[in-house]
Amino acid sequence: MPDSKPTQNAIEVRNLDFYYGKFQGLKNVNLDIAEHRVTAFIGPSGCGKSTLLRTLNRMYSLYPGQRAEGEINFYGQNILEKGQDLNLLRAQIGMVFQKPTPFPMSIYDNIAFGVRLYENLSKSDMDDRVESALSKAAIWNEVKDKLGQSGLSLSGGQQQRLCIARTVAVKPKVILLDEPTSALDPISTAKVEELVSELKKDYTVAIVTHNMQQAARVSDFTAYMYLGELMEFGVTEQIFLKPTRQETEDYITGRFG
Amino acid sequence: MDKHISSQFDNELTGVSTRVLELGGLVESQTRHAVYALAQFSSEVADQVIASEKQVNQLEVEIDRELASIIARRQPTARDLRLLMAISKITGNLERAGDEAERIARMVKQILEQGTPRNLPSSELRIAADLATGLLRKALDAFARLDVNMAVTILKEDDLIDAEFNGFVRKLITYMMEDPRTISASLDLLFVAKAIERIGDHAKNIAEFVIYVVKGADVRHTALTEIEKAVQ
Repeated sequence: MPDSKPTQNAIEVRNLDFYYGKFQGLKNVNLDIAEHRVTAFIGPSGCGKSTLLRTLNRMYSLYPGQRAEGEINFYGQNILEKGQDLNLLRAQIGMVFQKPTPFPMSIYDNIAFGVRLYENLSKSDMDDRVESALSKAAIWNEVKDKLGQSGLSLSGGQQQRLCIARTVAVKPKVILLDEPTSALDPISTAKVEELVSELKKDYTVAIVTHNMQQAARVSDFTAYMYLGELMEFGVTEQIFLKPTRQETEDYITGRFG
Repeated sequence: MDKHISSQFDNELTGVSTRVLELGGLVESQTRHAVYALAQFSSEVADQVIASEKQVNQLEVEIDRELASIIARRQPTARDLRLLMAISKITGNLERAGDEAERIARMVKQILEQGTPRNLPSSELRIAADLATGLLRKALDAFARLDVNMAVTILKEDDLIDAEFNGFVRKLITYMMEDPRTISASLDLLFVAKAIERIGDHAKNIAEFVIYVVKGADVRHTALTEIEKAVQ
């Protein structure tokens, strides 16, 4: 069920500008991402929604020429400041991509690989961690008898849930989903959406989606972005029933020209 | 309003709105004829009112089917969703207003068959009846133009019908006390008066849904002063 009751903010974005070289991709974005809620970013292609998502765990730092200005406070800590441990940050703010990206290794090792980077667990503790991560990603029952098989042997939808399990295994606080179902069939999509509602009990979720109905189905809060600006942000039900701005209304009703 | 990227979607919304106005026109004429039948004690006109009930029911079913189809295929949002919700409710209200018109027509026939004395104050019902018919027409106009100000006016005028109804009931009571032989016919007229009052209520409901479509505010069960604030 959607839940728009206010909670503590996991992430507070303040006066965020983002540049791809000279091109400004985000313009003075201010936004709160509430803990244990699902926040969706919607908007037409090129509006900056994926860019915004990628600033939240500094994924953009992998690319030269891209820079962010302003503040992104993650539980009070501005992650845009220098001297951040980016690996640790990305463990705390995990990301799942549009196309499933399992490692070419066993299902078990797909999960264990990330955990070993941060923790030194005994065999039985690791077994528990793998099972718990796969269970939380709602795929344990489908793979428990073939943990030694390659992650690539799974279907697209299963691979995506495996990737979510991999993210979950390192015990993040926030999970960023970048169009997680755009490469999946409707049944797999429904399973991932179902999973998103489960995930918010333990984590804070931010999701970018091209599918407006998906945003309406899974999110508690929705941000509508256009040309690098945050046009409207609010409770999902309100955005889809009675948006405040004409631009939002035009986009969600399909009048966008 | 701007058009959708899908012009077919626009056509579907316009189509179902037109159907509602068609239904509205039908019910409005049903109501007007019922009032005429009452004023003239015309059994023929009453029969016409009763006969058109079938058509009303059929239109209601067709509109509901179109609504379900649009919702299933288009997943409407925001103003589109509010429009379709409102159409569904408005259709229900129109159908029930039609039922009330039919009730009046049947009552007219019953009064005629009983050969009841016509010295009862049935003519005084006409003021309320004209008010109710006019209100229904205005509500349909307000919907056709999505005119919020007109909708608010309708909400105010419904109070007039309620006042007429109460006055009429008091008058009937004095008739019945003066001459108990009029009790049976008076009760018939009371039912007619109640039906007229209900038609006014349905018109008022329709006006409330016009406000919902345009402003996104649900103003049912809300005081008029609050409503006027909400539509500012």
